[in-house]
Amino acid sequence: MNVLALLAIAAPVESPGGGARSIAAARAGDLAAFESLMRQHERLVLVTAARLLGKLEDAQDASQEVFLRLYRSLGKIDAVENLPGWLYRVTVNVCHDITRKRPASVPVDELPELAATGADPQQSAARAERRRALQMSLRFLSEKERAAMVLRDLEGLSTAEVARALGSSEATVRSQISKARIKVRAFMERYFRSQL
Amino acid sequence: MNCQEWEERIALYAAGDAGAADAGETERHIAGCAGCQVFWSGMKQSLEWLREAHQEEIAPAHYAAVRARVMAQLESGRAPWWKQVWAYGLGIAAVAAVMVLIAVRPHAESPRATMVMPAAVVENAADAGQGAGSRPGGLPHREVGRRGALWAHLPHRQAETILVKLETDNPDVVIYWIAEKKGD
Repeated sequence: MNVLALLAIAAPVESPGGGARSIAAARAGDLAAFESLMRQHERLVLVTAARLLGKLEDAQDASQEVFLRLYRSLGKIDAVENLPGWLYRVTVNVCHDITRKRPASVPVDELPELAATGADPQQSAARAERRRALQMSLRFLSEKERAAMVLRDLEGLSTAEVARALGSSEATVRSQISKARIKVRAFMERYFRSQL
Repeated sequence: MNCQEWEERIALYAAGDAGAADAGETERHIAGCAGCQVFWSGMKQSLEWLREAHQEEIAPAHYAAVRARVMAQLESGRAPWWKQVWAYGLGIAAVAAVMVLIAVRPHAESPRATMVMPAAVVENAADAGQGAGSRPGGLPHREVGRRGALWAHLPHRQAETILVKLETDNPDVVIYWIAEKKGD
């Protein structure tokens, strides 16, 4: 499994109204404006895709496809406020497509031997191990459970926003989130039996 | 409600997704159930780890790589003007070539359509020939109708005119029938 290498980087801050201007200019064919629009939303797309797919290379492919779809759909996005919701929805759909084409490299019946890592003295190593366990746990969720959990618990969307992004009801999303949290907790407990 | 059913409510309650009434009930249950307290504790811990992992970001080089790929693809879709002119010219030439082929080819190969005429028509045509003094000698009138081969020549671009050639057993006797169609 390819574990994501993550670094602490601040996302670029866009001035209020800048998004609307970028969309208008990009619609008019200004590629520089579209690149600016990408910079404003690339974290949302790439991080979400990485959480959903578990591999950075796949997440980059997904991000590329999402932004190409955005470029083709600029005329359909009527307000900049709707753009994040649109991006989340398309990112989830593109990631589903990629998952279907490229099945998980670690099937459930080939789980590696789970080792307790409580004896690891290095805190950073422990964090890396937790990240790895987290990525693995997300892989054993269904597509919809994973998407609901990533959007709610990692991206911080409200249940209503998650429901809109996934095209589901709020009740369905709450059920998916609940099941996903229980599964992840069970996985983490199994992985770090000595710590939980 | 057993503890397994409470787990789903605890999972929602853990991140503030339970309604006010559910949250109160869940809190009371956790307070009085040792098993659910353990579950609650583990749930809080796993959610904390999830958020901790989320606080870290992907290296900027990875964003830049995606941006570069997207921009390259978009720019490749925008051909320079001379390439567009070349493409349009090629398209126009192809269309012109197809039109010339359509216009010229039918004249070169004038297809000869065969039409089998009903017996009554054949007889009428034979009668017409007899009236004009062209009936084959010694050949019965009906025999001509049954055994004759009929050809309809449909001249190109004159679809309204039909020429029927009637061949009899006598090679010296050929009957032509010209019909002109008016309207539908």
